[in-house]
Amino acid sequence: MTRQMKLGAFLWATGHHIAAWRHPKAHVTAGIDIDHYIRLARTAEAAKFDLLFCEDAAGLREANVGIASQTSRSIGFEPISLLSALAVQTSRIGLVSTASTSYNEPYGLARTFLSLDHLSGGRAGWNLVTSASQIEAANFGSTGLRPHADRYERAREFAEVVTGLWHGKLDGASGSGGHDGQSFSVRDPLDLPRSPQGAPVMVQAGASDVGRDLAARTADVVFTAAQTFEEAKAFYDDLKGRLAAYGRERDDIKIMPGVAPVVAETEAEAREKYEELQELIPDDVGVALLSSYLSIADLWRYPIDGPLPELPATEGMQSRQALVIEQSRRDNLSIRQLARHFAGARGHWRIAGTAVQVADALQARFEGGAADGFNVIPSYFPGELDAFATLVVPELQRRGLFRKDYDGRTLREHLGLKRPL
Amino acid sequence: MDNGATMHLAVSLFSGTADPSPEPEFDRLARFAQKAEAAGLDMVLLADAAPASSSDAANRQVPFEATTLLAALATVTSRIGLVAMASTIAHQPYNLARRFASLDIISHGRAGWHATMVQAPREAANFSRPEGFSSADFRRRTEEYIGIVQGLWQGWDADALLFDKGGGRFHDPEKMHLLDHKGEFFSVRGPLNVARSPQDMPVLVLSGFSEHDLYVAARTADVILLDERSAEDTKARHDDLRRRVAARGRDPDAVKVLINVSPVTGGKPAALADRLEEQFHSTSCDGFNILMPAQLSALDDLVDLVLPELRRRGLFRAGYRGTTLRSHLGLAGGGDQ
Repeated sequence: MTRQMKLGAFLWATGHHIAAWRHPKAHVTAGIDIDHYIRLARTAEAAKFDLLFCEDAAGLREANVGIASQTSRSIGFEPISLLSALAVQTSRIGLVSTASTSYNEPYGLARTFLSLDHLSGGRAGWNLVTSASQIEAANFGSTGLRPHADRYERAREFAEVVTGLWHGKLDGASGSGGHDGQSFSVRDPLDLPRSPQGAPVMVQAGASDVGRDLAARTADVVFTAAQTFEEAKAFYDDLKGRLAAYGRERDDIKIMPGVAPVVAETEAEAREKYEELQELIPDDVGVALLSSYLSIADLWRYPIDGPLPELPATEGMQSRQALVIEQSRRDNLSIRQLARHFAGARGHWRIAGTAVQVADALQARFEGGAADGFNVIPSYFPGELDAFATLVVPELQRRGLFRKDYDGRTLREHLGLKRPL
Repeated sequence: MDNGATMHLAVSLFSGTADPSPEPEFDRLARFAQKAEAAGLDMVLLADAAPASSSDAANRQVPFEATTLLAALATVTSRIGLVAMASTIAHQPYNLARRFASLDIISHGRAGWHATMVQAPREAANFSRPEGFSSADFRRRTEEYIGIVQGLWQGWDADALLFDKGGGRFHDPEKMHLLDHKGEFFSVRGPLNVARSPQDMPVLVLSGFSEHDLYVAARTADVILLDERSAEDTKARHDDLRRRVAARGRDPDAVKVLINVSPVTGGKPAALADRLEEQFHSTSCDGFNILMPAQLSALDDLVDLVLPELRRRGLFRAGYRGTTLRSHLGLAGGGDQ
């Protein structure tokens, strides 16, 4: 059978565009409406998406309350409870949630995700993040963010314990004596049966050097942000190239870059749709969002129509900072232009066009060896998920690039991943 | 309005159920909750035990952690309260408060958190604290923890969300409040990134007290579970609790006392009804938490035989009057008033 692409539906609040909630057709009460999410999940499942994906932060997104109140991101469902509800309202689609290695313990996290896996009949996945936000840190008794390297060392041990628990290899009774490590200790095996898919799927998105190594060691799926084909291809080759060192094969990891499509019947309509959203972004909100990607607090001090200032190295999201700086230099963009650009797609690859144009672009990256699939980032819900499902998916299916029906029942089966022993 | 004439009834579901069935586990539990709902029970309590011993763990049949199970059950029921046990060792207070706030919105105001004042043996050893906590530390930590969780649940005013697309105002920043808690065990800035509960706050169910802990219950609990003792003893504890609740400036009726009861299976339904009626009057408790035996089918006897008898005697209400758990329990802030 020809290789087919994997597709994720990335759910977030009223949409990924910062001004999504203001769109006339956006479902503005998404953050308090479970029925809305059940409808989205069923839309994605009817379109045969591999998985639903929820990102997460244990805190507000924006420290400035005035800015925060102009976005819809300060309230929403906690993703484990959300996906547990969706698990019994769907039957095939994978359910992947983000959870932090900094503010959880591995035993509890392994147990919770395994429970989601049982509720869904083997469709759960965990997206490991180390958490880079000071706002989150303040909710967990911390006075400051841990240095990047420490966060990743803790994450490495955390992932090892979680997979050990899922694989039944931390069983004191079998002689291994649990786990007693640098950051964590665990005495008992999990009190739940083994996963219906062997173990929940491990997902990661860290793109820094240490993040890539952790992914090469432990991840089944990697989400990434890449603007150009060259960036995507370089990341793809680099990460696949790291696998052999851990005794793994190239196909053991599925790399799924984010894509923010704006699809319409004509290209002009698609551009118009995008501009309509861009016009809804207040300048102060755009600049605040850009500041968060750059991990600096005072970007608003600089002239909005001027260039980015020189930035200090960050303990936050290093790879995202580099991506923004790279783009500002390449396209010679002002702060306002950059802010609008990133507010629109959150640093992900944006395509506006017809279904054929979007399918062409995805096909080129997929067949060009820059992606195993894509994590689709709708600008607002439900409209842009509906548009992708009804316009782009049939086009991909017609080309034989995407499944017409699910072959398996578990997320591992959808993704073509080995079942762990 | 609840005038105390009728009892509140909960059923507790433990993890080791034993009905042999080819049906998927969740479907069986869903039918259980739906049957309890059709009978008009106030709530189902979902246990969530840490492994008591490794050998026991392998024999567990319910493969679900309680908060995830609650979320799933919320989508297949519409009226009954759903309360999950969750440990103060296993979760950080911010995460726990957030999970339950979210469950409360998923269930449209039917969620509750069951916290226990007793440290589960062995549990801390799975959460990187092999030494556990001393009893005194655990008690102070739990008290602080509960305060944080309830504080976080009140971080957003009920009318904070504006959804004003044209004006660009999603919420009113004046109606979002930081917690800024700095205590002996935790420091938590807040607020939660989940909206206000549809029933004002998720219901807090407390169990496992010693006498020392009654002051915590008096300050924080909505429901407390007491083990069955002599009527005089239970009544004395209840009276003591009511005095303490009043001393905290709360309405003494703001805390409901339910007595844990293990029904004797195979006994005459009228006998259980008699027993509940007798205790309801002699202890002045607010109702009962029926501890389900391993067979879920035991619910059938309760619903089909005992409840009609209680209703005939005017001891249990005919059906739900409101839609939230607070409303079922006759607690303030139920969202239906």
